[in-house]
Amino acid sequence: MSNADATQSLTERVTDRDTLYRIGLYVVMYGLAIAFFVPYWRMFQLSVTPMSVLSQGGFHWIPPEVTLAVWQRYLVDEPIIYQWAFNTLTIASITTAIVLLVDSMIAFSITRLDWPGQGLILGVIMASFMIPGYVNIIPLYTLINDLGLMNSYWAIILPFAAGPLGVFLLVQFFRDIPEELEEAARLDGFSSLRIYARIILPLSTPILTALGLFVFIWSWNQFLWPLIVLNDDALYTLPVGVVTLRDVNALAPNVIMTSLALASLPLFIIFLLFQDKLISSVQMQAGTG
Amino acid sequence: MSNVEATTETRTASRWERLFDRSTRELLVGLLFAAPYLVLFAVFLLYPLLKGLYMSLHEWNFLEPSKSTYVGLENYARLLEDPAFWNALWNTLEFVGMTVPLIVGLSLVLALGLNKELKGSRLLQFVYFSPYVLTVSVVGIIWAQMFAQGGVGTQYFGWLFSGSPLNSKFWAMPVIVITTVWWQAGFYFAVLLAARQNVPERLYEAARLDGAGPWRMFRDITLPHMKNALLFVVIASTIFQFQVFGQPYLMTKGGPVGNTETLVYYLYELGFQTRELGFGAAVGYTLLLILVGVSVLNYVLVGGNDE
Repeated sequence: MSNADATQSLTERVTDRDTLYRIGLYVVMYGLAIAFFVPYWRMFQLSVTPMSVLSQGGFHWIPPEVTLAVWQRYLVDEPIIYQWAFNTLTIASITTAIVLLVDSMIAFSITRLDWPGQGLILGVIMASFMIPGYVNIIPLYTLINDLGLMNSYWAIILPFAAGPLGVFLLVQFFRDIPEELEEAARLDGFSSLRIYARIILPLSTPILTALGLFVFIWSWNQFLWPLIVLNDDALYTLPVGVVTLRDVNALAPNVIMTSLALASLPLFIIFLLFQDKLISSVQMQAGTG
Repeated sequence: MSNVEATTETRTASRWERLFDRSTRELLVGLLFAAPYLVLFAVFLLYPLLKGLYMSLHEWNFLEPSKSTYVGLENYARLLEDPAFWNALWNTLEFVGMTVPLIVGLSLVLALGLNKELKGSRLLQFVYFSPYVLTVSVVGIIWAQMFAQGGVGTQYFGWLFSGSPLNSKFWAMPVIVITTVWWQAGFYFAVLLAARQNVPERLYEAARLDGAGPWRMFRDITLPHMKNALLFVVIASTIFQFQVFGQPYLMTKGGPVGNTETLVYYLYELGFQTRELGFGAAVGYTLLLILVGVSVLNYVLVGGNDE
């Protein structure tokens, strides 16, 4: 009897502590989420606040008046954003296509074919992991200049199309594809090209999607390099373009914030559509450490 | 079986076979598949790397490279005596020293918290991760606005500083750090969440039966199992944050009085504003050596035994 009492009070105490703990957890996690959300709210809120309210000064979480005038300006009246979005989309898409193609080809060559020097080449590629992109920008700039590529999409696409990350991920993945599939195909008279295109690539769709998403987003968001090699505002990418809009609209935060919101929308939509794939593409990279 | 193989081979590749023996064929096909990547790699990565070294030994003439003069290690000697370089190095270390622990700490808290069954965990994950899909110019401009006169930060924390903290020698860097943590923590949170979810749940059940408290379970089960992921987070964020450029460029222009000028920012100014390409290349090479050193050191200190 007394024993049962003791157990009961123990469970009660444990549940109490658990409840408190759960409440604390909710407070912390939602509190952080709200803190994370503040910059978004501020961006959106300022973008719909009319200039008349802004010029009075004062601080509002919710503006007393709301207008879509600036949104209309960028979406309808001065659609420069579309041009920049198109440039960015073109650059990011071509970069992604090139990376997926050349990375999968070399990874196939290293893991599925047999030729002398593979190990050495893979070693050199892996060692280049150590070279961070930005330390090379001055010689790269003179190279792009010598090649006559300044102010072109290729100036942004080519220099970063041969990163080691994709090769590393694909080599690891291709190695795990069972040998038997390939042997069977060879017996059926498949050439190496057909094995690559008909067997290896289809089996690698998940990792190719994840790598593609990562490269696409990374390329879309590039800032320093496009800033250096693009000097013509018709060629700007969104990340560079919004900075020039900030500079000419320094006194109108609603105009600036609208351009930022518009520049962020495409990737937000991609994120909403591919949340799980995108997050797994990030998690996949930890395997490279 | 070898019979079948032989017939198919003669059928499909007879012309090949007559021209080359088997190993030459393998080599040719292998190189054909490897070539596109190797060409890009050699032209846009290896060549600039070597050319950077070459340029760093010259007083480089951008308009007429042939008129560049060889100066040996003079650029490196100048760099060691250049207060702007040391200032940039110091600012970068200060930035990395504040940002990396905050990112690691926050992303770990988010990952451990979200590992529990919470209502709305998908929404939470979305909110924490989402800043990562923004470009640095959007991030930098929003946060510059938040800490400008009349922004959220100055509204609520104005008692800490007079005027905008972005004009304050003391506060400019911390504001850039906070901006960066908001932008980057989600990425590392995603990595750590996956690592946490891979820890076998039965270990915790066993520990609970042994009467282990939450702290002991964290220390003896969670941390050891997440070691590799944590290591990745520390190394990757250190290397990445070392190359900070956009945030100070957009938020403070390196100011006030050079207090937020970082190494890559300095590199950018040398290369693309004052056009001191030879000296800039020397700064780039020095940065490369520092980062290789950081990676190797990290590996030796913590990563060496993780196999």
